[in-house]
Amino acid sequence: MSASQSAVRSRAEAVSASRTLDYMILFTLFFIILGGYHIHFMLTGGDWDFWSDWKDRRLWVTVCPIVAITFPAAVQAVLWTRYRIAWGATVSILGLLFGEWINRYFNFWGWTYFPMNFVFPANFVPSAIFLDTVLVLSNSFTLTAIAGGMGWGLLFYPSNWPIIAPLHLPVEYNGMMFTVADLSGYHYVRTGTPEYIRMVEKGTLRTFGKDVAPVSAFFSAFVSVIVYFVWHFFGLWFGKTDFVTST
Amino acid sequence: MKTIKDKVAKLSFVALLIAVSTAMFYTPTASAHGEKSQAAFMRMRTIHWYDLDWSKSQVAVNETVTVSGKFHVFKGWPETVEKPEVSFLNIGIPGPVFIRAASYIGGQLVPRSVTLELGKTYDFKVLLKARRPGDWHVHTMMNVEDGGPIIGPGKFIRITGSMSQFTNPVTTLTGKTIDIETWGLGDIYFYSFLWIGIGIAWMWYWCKSPVFVPRLIAVQAGKQDSLISDTDKKVTMGFCGGVLALTAILMSSTNSAYPVTIPIQAGLMRDMVPLEIPEPTVSVTVDNASYRVPGRSMEMTLTITNNGDSGIRLGEFNTASVRFLDADVAEDEGVYPADLLAENGLSQSDNSAIAPGETRTISVQASDAAWEVYRLADLIYDPDSRFAGLLFFYDEAGNTQMVGIDAPLIPSFI
Repeated sequence: MSASQSAVRSRAEAVSASRTLDYMILFTLFFIILGGYHIHFMLTGGDWDFWSDWKDRRLWVTVCPIVAITFPAAVQAVLWTRYRIAWGATVSILGLLFGEWINRYFNFWGWTYFPMNFVFPANFVPSAIFLDTVLVLSNSFTLTAIAGGMGWGLLFYPSNWPIIAPLHLPVEYNGMMFTVADLSGYHYVRTGTPEYIRMVEKGTLRTFGKDVAPVSAFFSAFVSVIVYFVWHFFGLWFGKTDFVTST
Repeated sequence: MKTIKDKVAKLSFVALLIAVSTAMFYTPTASAHGEKSQAAFMRMRTIHWYDLDWSKSQVAVNETVTVSGKFHVFKGWPETVEKPEVSFLNIGIPGPVFIRAASYIGGQLVPRSVTLELGKTYDFKVLLKARRPGDWHVHTMMNVEDGGPIIGPGKFIRITGSMSQFTNPVTTLTGKTIDIETWGLGDIYFYSFLWIGIGIAWMWYWCKSPVFVPRLIAVQAGKQDSLISDTDKKVTMGFCGGVLALTAILMSSTNSAYPVTIPIQAGLMRDMVPLEIPEPTVSVTVDNASYRVPGRSMEMTLTITNNGDSGIRLGEFNTASVRFLDADVAEDEGVYPADLLAENGLSQSDNSAIAPGETRTISVQASDAAWEVYRLADLIYDPDSRFAGLLFFYDEAGNTQMVGIDAPLIPSFI
């Protein structure tokens, strides 16, 4: 066999080889994205994501979407541009959630015995699917950044509300008011997380009335748009193959 | 042909593999006394814990144990550590092996951060409920914002039983009695994995057709638009609309299921009530202080004036939770950790009672291996070589008075 001959001898073989490559690349891509994205997200939005008593309606709602839209934007830039692959954001989020659930279940629960209803990860799948679908329907990164980014930020709190609502029931405990999440944080001792370090709403956000979550969600959505633009270009730059010499 | 360099490289790699494998199987437990790693000056000049009590040394799962006592916020707080204007009464345990059922300063519940004043003494109590069997070192602990954790003495407490028996019930203001340990888990797993399943479905739709190579070829040939068919767009619209609709439906049903919810609660608590301790009638001046490195002992010359109306004797020097007692004057009747207690560690040139109105200069020596074991001797290598601690004086009726001292420390290496 020489360089001028094909590596496959029939169409069937070509299809089979292509499919094998699909599985191999999918598997590898999943874990490569997982590795980088998980580290990035833990270092930026980690505190809010680890603990239920950090999942407030201001800082959590604002910070998490902003720092989480990064890798989906970069991955979309590469996969859509080169392959017209429609699941860039979703594969990023599924990788992140895979890593997070393994970490929380085997480490936070299995090693240190924090209950899973205290350390579960936040849900980003609806936001990711929305971002992907906007890209497919618009075929425009600008529109995806603006409309998709806005939707990414705005969908975060409503899509997580069914998960965290039970933990926001009010409790009177020794004369003071707590949510169930606050009480979990108080009961399940974290020596490295004193109460004052909790970056949560303390009543300083002046809103139009009492609704903090929508204000935070809109702010998060706007900043997500900007972050999408920046990371889109990171993605394009990292996805360059100029260094590969063509034969 | 193998060279010597190749053989050395191969053997080194084998040695590295053996070392890593051995390390994986040999993992000594780190379970206590991490407080030694804290700088000596910080342990001596910030929070002084005393009159401590650990109510039990063994409990079963679901039983409670109380850690209580007093802490004095030292007036000579080091400038390198932020003042305790925002502090949190924590408890030093290896994770949630107990749950913190309650914590009090001055009788007030303190689940949030508090403001403490320099020079004041507070009493505290932490109520723990046993959760996970094992032998656990339980420390008093205060976290100071921008200052870090300040850890006090620790004592082993054994928990027996099985963690599966642990329950943490509470009744909400909506009338539900729930177990905090497991409440909401069903919803968490269901909704999380429902959405993960939908995400996988989105990916499966696109990945059931060829993914990478054919699409790459098409894009490079300029035929990228052919890769997204009308059916694909319809399915995409379905997923988009479906996600939005499902999010709205689930949010609405959740609001119906839980009509009463409140936001996360946070805020600073002020006006912690310190103990009302009368001003001591004893005044102390540290004339000089030195640390003899070879002998592991600290010597200080103190000028003591008794302004009270009863004779007093120096019984204890407490620094960084290590207690040096003069056995002729005082003995520990509690459950203080033995490794932090030098029962005969304090000797004086004259330990007889100082009469009312008398001023006496005495030489005091605090000697014990604890200086090195607890790394207090490292103080001499600090950029600010000062020591601090509490002196406890006993009068004829057995009452105690506490006086803080804070002075330079000169090391002696010979």
